[in-house]
Amino acid sequence: MRSNRTIILCLVLLLGCMSTTVYGVCNQSTASQADRDLWNMHGCWQDFFLWQYRAYDVRANDWSNRGYFDCCNVNLEYPKHWNASYLVTYRLNDNNDQSWHGTIDYRAAAEAAGGNFHDRFFHLAIDDSDVYGRFTPPDQVKTSCLLYDNNSASANNNPASRAGDFIHEGWHAWNQRWGYNGGGGSCGHFNGPNGNCSMSPCGCDYFYFHGVSVYVFGAMWENNGTASRFHSPTQVQVEFLCDVADQSSAPASVKTAARADANARSAARFINGPGYRCGNPRPW
Amino acid sequence: MFQITKPSGQQLLLVLVAIALLIFVAACRRKAPTTVLTGQEPQAKEPAGSPPSKIQADRTLHNPPALTARGDDARKAVTAFIDWAGASLPEEHEDGRKVLAGARENEDIVKAFAAEITQAQRTDHSRALLALSLLGEMGSPSAEEFFRQFVNQPFPESGTRTAEGEIVEQTALATLQAKAIDGLAYLNSASANEEVLRQVGRHPSIIVRSEAISAYLWNQKDKEAARRTLLQHVRKGEERYIDQVIREEGESAASFNSKLDAYLKAHPDIAPPAPEGQRREYGKADDSPNPGAPPKH
Repeated sequence: MRSNRTIILCLVLLLGCMSTTVYGVCNQSTASQADRDLWNMHGCWQDFFLWQYRAYDVRANDWSNRGYFDCCNVNLEYPKHWNASYLVTYRLNDNNDQSWHGTIDYRAAAEAAGGNFHDRFFHLAIDDSDVYGRFTPPDQVKTSCLLYDNNSASANNNPASRAGDFIHEGWHAWNQRWGYNGGGGSCGHFNGPNGNCSMSPCGCDYFYFHGVSVYVFGAMWENNGTASRFHSPTQVQVEFLCDVADQSSAPASVKTAARADANARSAARFINGPGYRCGNPRPW
Repeated sequence: MFQITKPSGQQLLLVLVAIALLIFVAACRRKAPTTVLTGQEPQAKEPAGSPPSKIQADRTLHNPPALTARGDDARKAVTAFIDWAGASLPEEHEDGRKVLAGARENEDIVKAFAAEITQAQRTDHSRALLALSLLGEMGSPSAEEFFRQFVNQPFPESGTRTAEGEIVEQTALATLQAKAIDGLAYLNSASANEEVLRQVGRHPSIIVRSEAISAYLWNQKDKEAARRTLLQHVRKGEERYIDQVIREEGESAASFNSKLDAYLKAHPDIAPPAPEGQRREYGKADDSPNPGAPPKH
């Protein structure tokens, strides 16, 4: 009898696990300090999220169990998604003499609308933990639990890294739009390790160094088929994160996270790296 | 060999339970929304709040909490300070730095920061990173041993591996240890510098090695002597990290661009190849519906 009960219990647990897999979403019980600090700058701003879901093409059937109908609860995924959009839309300084690029560039890379930056795409969330985000051609920008879960091991569950990933995945769409293959590796980048990129088996990019003010705001999409006017996905991500860290009016927790993410990527992900370093190493 | 066996009562019971549970799960699934909801607006359960412009206008600036408490109250003071610092804006940066400098000799505050960091490392990466920054900025000699232990925490060899090959736990720890390196280098004592230089060559993560190089160099007055010292510790093939171009906060385009030119001239080997692929030439205006300008802030 006891063994019957044990078997039944095991079965129940097994089926329970299977059903969790079917419906699984990220752990949505908490938000990072960086998410909360940014959130407290705007609160439950209805006008913005009613604009944001259209601008990013966020669809109810993809996000309904991720806070789409409870979108002022910062612990949930969709509120964290529009929190990151708020950072892109409003907090950058757009300093012509100091920023890499302007809000107009980063918005165009991240938002859904088609044009010079990319063809139209839409945003959806995935539960995989084998990517931070993924662009699935022709039109899907996916972001994963590693950018949302505050109790995962990830360093990237903050609005700066999340927004940086919007731009990174959007830049894979830019590659597609302009006919570049991103390196031909198995994940849309060059295979590695390669040069100063320690990623293995893939995830390596080149850094196409350019000065400040070389691209006027709105011209980040420009390219000429050579290395003289080009960006890689990780490069635009680093430049965005640097602009959040050094050229924004975001809360300090967001800027600190942005700088750490940018410098980590700059150190580890470029074949001809390191890329630029954001800010000096003074602790705070 | 192929053998047919008669099922026992226990096996029959198992099958029945499994079927019952599958029917139950299937019934639950049918209740889940299956209609396509595309186009439906997001909704909040709370009433709309004040616009951000009002929220931000109502906030009191330049009012950091004190860090003068001792004993058990030190932990509360540090918690409140980290909360404030996380939300603080760039124009409040110097306010925070003054309070931290004033607490440099308060060992209870140092211990409270260490306790907060240890706790946040398990629960909130962004808070742990912030608290490490603040403790580093204090420049307290009492924090040196904590930072040394932190940068020597065992580096995970396995964990959540992404398709690109990144181990998420490694990056999370490396970014925190890089911040601890900043704190050590900022102390600029002989023993702290010795640890920083040790990590330049020995840390398993390039994220930490790179930070150790930059932090050591930035904190030394004699840059040429510092470069020579670094060359004795840096791994072969990583010498270029000593020259990494830094965009300082507030730096002008002219200043940065001249540094970049010098870097590129000194390292002609880093010029990237032409991008792969066949550039498509076609003009395309914004071809899809968009909601227009975002609402006014």
